[in-house]
Amino acid sequence: MTPPKPHRVLLDRVSGYADEAAAYMRRRRVARRPFARLYYSGGRGSDHAADSVAGGELFVAAGRLIEVAGKRARS
Amino acid sequence: MAQTATTTIQEARARDTVGILAEMPDATTDAVSGGAAEGALAYLTEMSPDLRGGAILDSTGSVLAASDHADRWSEDARVLLEVADRAGDEPVQQVHVATEQGEVFAMRHDGLTAIAVTDRFALASLLFFDMRSVLRDLARGGDGRAGEAAS
Repeated sequence: MTPPKPHRVLLDRVSGYADEAAAYMRRRRVARRPFARLYYSGGRGSDHAADSVAGGELFVAAGRLIEVAGKRARS
Repeated sequence: MAQTATTTIQEARARDTVGILAEMPDATTDAVSGGAAEGALAYLTEMSPDLRGGAILDSTGSVLAASDHADRWSEDARVLLEVADRAGDEPVQQVHVATEQGEVFAMRHDGLTAIAVTDRFALASLLFFDMRSVLRDLARGGDGRAGEAAS
């Protein structure tokens, strides 16, 4: 049996990476939930759950800004 | 080889550093014109295909540029930053809130604030990078397009 041509190997490998990336993005879209994250000087960050007081207020404030921005202006 | 005493070098460094800092212009937001801010916002919109709208505010919270409804951007951005500041024990530098309807980014830098609303799943690190470069250039008296020359 003859070995596969080198360009076939390369194409298969690139296709494999593309499939992996597509699957990762699909999983990310499904699994990702709303979050509120704050960052401070020095790189420190903190997450606030939606059911916490601060988190709830952040989601309300963000929702108002999203409303102001409206739908996407460009296609 | 002649060597300079370490203390001498440190004194010189301290003296020169003070001189450098004295020559640097203050990062005052008073110098930022509305025209420059509008140009910067347009540039940010151009660079970020996911962007739905945004605003740039000065240190008092007044809108320098907004994609639309400047008064509402001012009010709602103020509320968001107040809430974010209350959530921690120090003023917040960056805010990222992701909801089902879209994502909100806010960044404070050199006395200026940039707010951006994007579609879901925008690349946060890229957007924050762009916002920072725009604000930094505006604070230096530029038009926010310093990144354009570098790219």
